[in-house]
Amino acid sequence: MVDLIDRQISAEIVAACRAGDRDAFRALYDLYKDRVYSIAHYFLHGDPAAASDVTQQVFLKLMTHIADFRGEAEFSTWLYRLVVNACMDAGRRRKSDEVASERSHLEMFADPASQEDDYARTQVANSVRAAVSALPPKFRIAVLLRYFEDLSYEEMAKALHCSMGTVASRLSRGHRMLAERLKGLKYG
Amino acid sequence: MDDREEVKSVLEHLPLVQAPDAIWTSIEAALDEHRSPARRQWQWGFAAVAVSALLVVGYWTVGHRTGQWIETDSKSRTTLRIGEIGFVEIEPGTRVRVPATQPGEHRLTLARGEIRAKISAPPRLFFVDTASGTAIDLGCEYTLSDDELGLGLLQVTKGWVSFQWKGVESLVPAGASCRTYPKIGPGIPYFDDASQRLKDALGNDAIDVILAESRVRDTLTLWHLLQRVPAEERARVYDRIAALTPVPDGVSRDKALRLDPETLKLWKDELAWKW
Repeated sequence: MVDLIDRQISAEIVAACRAGDRDAFRALYDLYKDRVYSIAHYFLHGDPAAASDVTQQVFLKLMTHIADFRGEAEFSTWLYRLVVNACMDAGRRRKSDEVASERSHLEMFADPASQEDDYARTQVANSVRAAVSALPPKFRIAVLLRYFEDLSYEEMAKALHCSMGTVASRLSRGHRMLAERLKGLKYG
Repeated sequence: MDDREEVKSVLEHLPLVQAPDAIWTSIEAALDEHRSPARRQWQWGFAAVAVSALLVVGYWTVGHRTGQWIETDSKSRTTLRIGEIGFVEIEPGTRVRVPATQPGEHRLTLARGEIRAKISAPPRLFFVDTASGTAIDLGCEYTLSDDELGLGLLQVTKGWVSFQWKGVESLVPAGASCRTYPKIGPGIPYFDDASQRLKDALGNDAIDVILAESRVRDTLTLWHLLQRVPAEERARVYDRIAALTPVPDGVSRDKALRLDPETLKLWKDELAWKW
């Protein structure tokens, strides 16, 4: 999650990036890369190639045009809008945005490293991933933005190009869908 | 427990996924390549069309040569850099002008021909004026063409474009197109993969065919159509949209038929996820 320190650092890095500092670009990339990649990863059903493409696209656009931005708040909003646009475009380009069968979908998300973990916890994690992946795109992206970026409703409204009321509605419905899908699952 | 805590309790099982190292390598390579093609394009333009190239050079190095016309012949093309926010490729047989620019705003005037804009910036920083209206970039890539009669075609490949003329607006997302007309403004947008019958019907105002041929995705067309048809036809368009996809909470039939702006915006925000 982004904390206040992260936001302060990113403002300084943005200024350096605007001056063409490649090391600053790298620092900015390192600051946000995992969150951007994670959102794309879960949005695109765990497809690492698609998530990598989205991440590259987002940061390339950000880095080639960063000189045009004036303040940290605007930068953040632009970053998140880039992420949303790139994810939605990638989702549309896929032949089908339907979730694969439960079995194959869980296999796509299966983390080989987790084989050493407790089987029950692994199953819970896979179920949660599958439930998120099964959300309609508009709810999925809203939930992922809220969780990974910890955005306010106002920030989400700008990123998603909609009203705060719509943001609240999508989060609420997304949560209900998740709860319904995961009913009976024990998380602990 | 508020909704953020509720989300956390469920999604704590979704770990942050580390981005592969190869992504940065690809980004660096692309950044390095990005600097080179711009110079090559400038050099090509200089060799191909002397007058246009001089104007491009002036635009590039001095800033805006305001008021200058840039014109390509039938065989040449050139590229304009739009500040730090993107590029506009000017196709053969095209005439554009760079008018006076306000701070934080970049504008072009397209008199005729075709341009391809690749813009990456916050919305409403880049504008293209034509005889049919103004294309407003909302963070996107698109092609805009205009013939000498002012008839045009806007095709969006990434993001969104708003095309406006005297209060008439068409919102065009990626994968969609919109015809433009002088002294009328933007037509009704349609997805490029819509049926040919639907596209032809838009040109003939054949509402029956438009409604019959429309899919869920074509609610883009129907949402705009609702605001353009005579009042007595709106109910049919509303009913067709409602038949294709559930009407969201907060959108009442009565307000929609009266074209209440807040209602239409709310409906559009929901429909847009299907576009």
